[in-house]
Amino acid sequence: MTALSPALRSEWVKIRSLRGTASALIAVFALTLVISVLVFATIGRSEADSPDYDPVFMAFYALNFAQVAAIYFGTAAFSSEYRNGALQVSLAAVPNRDRFYLAKMTSIGVPVLVVGLVTSFTAFLTSQAFMGEYAIGLGEPGALRACVGAGIYLALMALFAAGLTAVLRSGLIALSIIIPFMLVVSFVVGDLSAGIAEYLPDRAGQQVLRQHATGSLGPWGGLAVTAAWAAAAQLAGWWCVRRRDA
Amino acid sequence: MTGIEVLELTKEYGNFRAVDHLTFTVRPGQVTGFLGPNGAGKSTTLRLVLGLSRPTSGSALIGGKAYTTLKEPMRQVGALLDAQSAHSSRIARDHLLALAVSNRIEARRVDEVLETVGLSHAAKRRVGAYSLGMRQRLGIAAALLGDPEVLILDEPSNGLDPEGIVWIRDLMRRLAREGRTVLVSSHLMNETASFADHLVVLDRGRLLADATMQDFIHAQVTPSVRVRSSDDALLLSVLAEHGHEPVPDDSGRWIVDNARLEDVGPITAAAGVPILELSSQEATLEAAYFALIANEDGRAADRTPVAAAGGVR
Repeated sequence: MTALSPALRSEWVKIRSLRGTASALIAVFALTLVISVLVFATIGRSEADSPDYDPVFMAFYALNFAQVAAIYFGTAAFSSEYRNGALQVSLAAVPNRDRFYLAKMTSIGVPVLVVGLVTSFTAFLTSQAFMGEYAIGLGEPGALRACVGAGIYLALMALFAAGLTAVLRSGLIALSIIIPFMLVVSFVVGDLSAGIAEYLPDRAGQQVLRQHATGSLGPWGGLAVTAAWAAAAQLAGWWCVRRRDA
Repeated sequence: MTGIEVLELTKEYGNFRAVDHLTFTVRPGQVTGFLGPNGAGKSTTLRLVLGLSRPTSGSALIGGKAYTTLKEPMRQVGALLDAQSAHSSRIARDHLLALAVSNRIEARRVDEVLETVGLSHAAKRRVGAYSLGMRQRLGIAAALLGDPEVLILDEPSNGLDPEGIVWIRDLMRRLAREGRTVLVSSHLMNETASFADHLVVLDRGRLLADATMQDFIHAQVTPSVRVRSSDDALLLSVLAEHGHEPVPDDSGRWIVDNARLEDVGPITAAAGVPILELSSQEATLEAAYFALIANEDGRAADRTPVAAAGGVR
């Protein structure tokens, strides 16, 4: 860890010194808060009467938007190395590529995890403040698990996106694969929460946000599937960064 | 004493051999000019030295170690690669700070090197708003951050204004005087002639020359002397006596090829030739370089049929 910490500090300087990455991290929290307030102040209580209402899952409605910011953060933080040949300078400073990659990914995963956890608890508590008689507390079955899981989920999605960016060497290409997948494919096949759709990274991981998991994976099983996606992307990215000429 | 040793370094991209069994040493205490036409493999070689590309075979060591094994490389080696290599939306100071902390270099050095390269006033401006010359200075600042023993600069005077060119020349000479190893690539001959002590010349990935500036020029270009006298008849007879064959130029002077001032001065003085002017025709690095490249092209043309007949590669 002592060998890693200078590289880690360097990566953190890079993240906070770029407007795009710094504001994406803030957006994870800010978007969730704003959307939670807007949604729950207006339609929150009426949703509570619908037949398949899951009070825990509903509380994380705004996470749909926050995850886009988290994914953007993951891609932007890594793709900044492919802008203006920055990677050459970075690797000249930290020529051990394992160390470089580990520092980079840590500086992406840890901030999203921290911001994600703060965001998920804030989202939950904020949304419940508007729910009146329907309000649930952190003591509600599944609520605490969902709050913790949401933070982990956001970090995993950011790492998934960052790994993919390392493979593709372009944030734009990575985003144009992930976002349509989430918004279109996952949405279209969304309600068929069985079969292959169940194993999509966002679908699977969001099981942890439900009071009663749908499908066969269960809350933690679903999150583990997302973790496997993230790990696969991370390993592929690592292999590419190690092997390629910069 | 930290030098750079390149040994049998080879880099292939598919069938194209960008660097071909290159061997040379760069010594401390002098500026070594790394010359060659565009596409000769200069930048590729520097990238191999810095571990950014992997060699197909061979090695490059700095102070006896591969660059990638250096723990805090910026403290030993400062590199300027491509002036574009800074993210355009980051401010200059943060760009340098990120580099400094990665090698545990005090943040104070960031302001020092910005001062050294004359960018203190623009430290908080985004790199994207920098001119090419300013970006070049920023790259040089990054190279100087760790106060390194070895400096590797790829085309450092690119984009600099005349004042900047004089500045970088003086800086490189000062760094060499301090005992550092300075390797500077360039394709500009007159420019290189103004700062280099030693030359490594590359063409099509292969080493053409590794010599001091003076030896290189003398080896490639024969020296000649320009002389003017009020008594041409006497001058010519004296020169002919000593085996010289002067030819007239278009301004009444005589050019004596294959001769130095030391050859012509004493014999004309001894014979009492009235000399109005005697000067050496300065052989330029440029002339020497083109002589070498032309020679090499001739040899390459000679070699081709042999290589084909022998079925080499």
